[in-house]
Amino acid sequence: MKQLRRLRDICLKDLLIVAKDRGSWIVLLLTPLAVIMVASFALGPAFEGQLKATLLVVNLDQGAIGRQLTDSLGQTEGLEVREATEAQCEALEIDGKTYKTCMMVPDDFSSSILTGSNTYLTVYVDPSDNASRPFLVGMIQGAASRLSGTVAAVRVSVAEVLKFAPETDPVMVATDAAPVAFQQMSGEQPVSVDVSSSGSAKDVNMFDTQAPGYSVMFLLFGVMLGAEGLLEERDKGTLGRLLVAPVARPAILGGKLMAQFVIAILQMTILFGIGHFVFGMHLGRSIPGLVLMVGMTAFTATAFGILLASAVRTRRQATSIGTLVIILMSALGGSWWPLSIEPQFMQTIGHLTINAWALDGMNALIINGKGFMDILPQAAVLFVMGCGAYLIGLRLFNFRSS
Amino acid sequence: MPLVVAENLVKRYDQLTAVDGVSFTIEEGQIFGFLGPNGAGKSTTISMLSTYLDPSGGDALIDGFSITREPRKVKDIIGVVPQDIALYPTLTAIQNLRFYGKMYDLGGEELDHRCRELLELVGLWDRRDSRIEQFSGGMKRRINMAAGLLHHPRFLMLDEPTVGVDPQSREHIFETIFKIRDSGTTILYTSHYMEEVELLCDYIAIMDKGKLVASGTLKELLAILGEGGVIELEMSAPECPEGLEAELGRQQGVTSVKQQDGRLVISSKNSAHSLPPVLRVLEGSGCEVTHLEIYKPNLEKLFIHLTGKELRE
Repeated sequence: MKQLRRLRDICLKDLLIVAKDRGSWIVLLLTPLAVIMVASFALGPAFEGQLKATLLVVNLDQGAIGRQLTDSLGQTEGLEVREATEAQCEALEIDGKTYKTCMMVPDDFSSSILTGSNTYLTVYVDPSDNASRPFLVGMIQGAASRLSGTVAAVRVSVAEVLKFAPETDPVMVATDAAPVAFQQMSGEQPVSVDVSSSGSAKDVNMFDTQAPGYSVMFLLFGVMLGAEGLLEERDKGTLGRLLVAPVARPAILGGKLMAQFVIAILQMTILFGIGHFVFGMHLGRSIPGLVLMVGMTAFTATAFGILLASAVRTRRQATSIGTLVIILMSALGGSWWPLSIEPQFMQTIGHLTINAWALDGMNALIINGKGFMDILPQAAVLFVMGCGAYLIGLRLFNFRSS
Repeated sequence: MPLVVAENLVKRYDQLTAVDGVSFTIEEGQIFGFLGPNGAGKSTTISMLSTYLDPSGGDALIDGFSITREPRKVKDIIGVVPQDIALYPTLTAIQNLRFYGKMYDLGGEELDHRCRELLELVGLWDRRDSRIEQFSGGMKRRINMAAGLLHHPRFLMLDEPTVGVDPQSREHIFETIFKIRDSGTTILYTSHYMEEVELLCDYIAIMDKGKLVASGTLKELLAILGEGGVIELEMSAPECPEGLEAELGRQQGVTSVKQQDGRLVISSKNSAHSLPPVLRVLEGSGCEVTHLEIYKPNLEKLFIHLTGKELRE
């Protein structure tokens, strides 16, 4: 009982020290909040479909079909079409401003289609642009597909007319049928796609996708500060003073870890709270589930802190090695981008990190609208990881300064 | 009656032996001084007595409890004032004391009263709500000392408590130590400042290279050099002629003669009486004296006499 009281008093003392230290609050709250806001506002338009991509177009076609195609692209949501010359198209530059993609329609485009020949659209791309190129090329390919479908329909129509009136000029029939068919092409499509979000969070915003990842990363940085604090206590003799007092070692470390755990919970709660009340971040439909995930993440991160403190000899090492490990874990574990875009082997490696399991659980709750029972496996894995890290850390930590 | 009995304490680190078979006893109510240069093994000895370090060999009993077998009981009896300022710099003086008091199960009014008593003792009650980081080095040392006294330890270990402090704080620390001694607390005091040990300690042990090289009261220790004084001579010839030491030893009042680094160190019951015959003998032997110094014995000279080097080397 005495040792529990001492554990509590050590925890309260550490909390008081952190409360008085403005530098800690900058790392724990202001920095993550700033990074989350920047990432959310910067990437939000792209992720939420509000970003407009510009496609340069050179239409050399003498007939109407080329114009029909470029008009069709101009009506595409999220796409702006800008006319260019051949030279500008090849250089992907107009008046000093660079563009990512340009489509060139050949001069015999309409006539080739009307006479039943195949034709080609030439597309110039910026090889360094991996972000908008798939979208722009996809748009051109979609428009080309729709056009090919329409041309096929016109050809079928011509063939049917020729069955009943073989003396008819096929080019004349095609010329008559083409405008009607192309009007159909640019009008309402007979088959359209309705996109729905899975789960309960129908209107996921950027804070939903960015806040958990960065929060977990900065939680780990906060814990790294705790590890440095533990080593500082050892170096400056305050830990030694506790060792010569009647305080059991588990009570000393337990108190310090308890304080770090409370700080981690507070940090996540404040970040999610600001995200929710100020920026409209969703918290999912299971608050108990989110509480469990935050708790398990804080527990495991705290255990990582003691493991870090036990694995290094100096505070400088804790900073450098800790920063390296946290950045690697964040990159591998999905704090910066969705784990799902990584190759399978990277996803497997990523699941060796705290970040991956924490984000699997949090994303399931916040984005996919899963319930308490659904995230129990992730919580269990975090708990096991945390216990392992604690046991190894407690075994290896050197209480005495060398 | 001894409160502390240390027997053959040893501490080894790989190839280095920091403390090499140290034995001593400390009587209850005594201020026992460890004097020695940095690296002599004083702090390591305190670390073992305070149960911070496990001895590599030997043992010590504090109030009958073994530091190796009963460290938890020892911790209740001892108080330690480490050489480092082991305080939390962003907490106030009273927050630090309250925290350490709670580690010794003090609480409520008893803790409040004790904090006030100690802050008044070290003269910093008015600064109780100031952060430690705002204090001078001397003030930090005084709070550092107060933190080791919260639980009324029977045996207090002070490890170089005046390092880096201003003269005013040093005086304050000395006054505090005497008050603690007067309250019945037994004190182990380490320092490499000879004057402090001479002033404060009832019994002195001189350490060098992990070993006790001499121990006793100040009077007993100084008697090793000679009660009346020491005549130290440097001569043109580095070595004395054969038989000169024996002849000098027979002169009036001379108690010992020793050659050290080309100098003759002559201890005497009365240096004023011994000097003329000594000089006559040297003149007769053809030795030319280039430098002569007469001084009263002190710990600094004793340390040189015993180890061949200065205390602050």
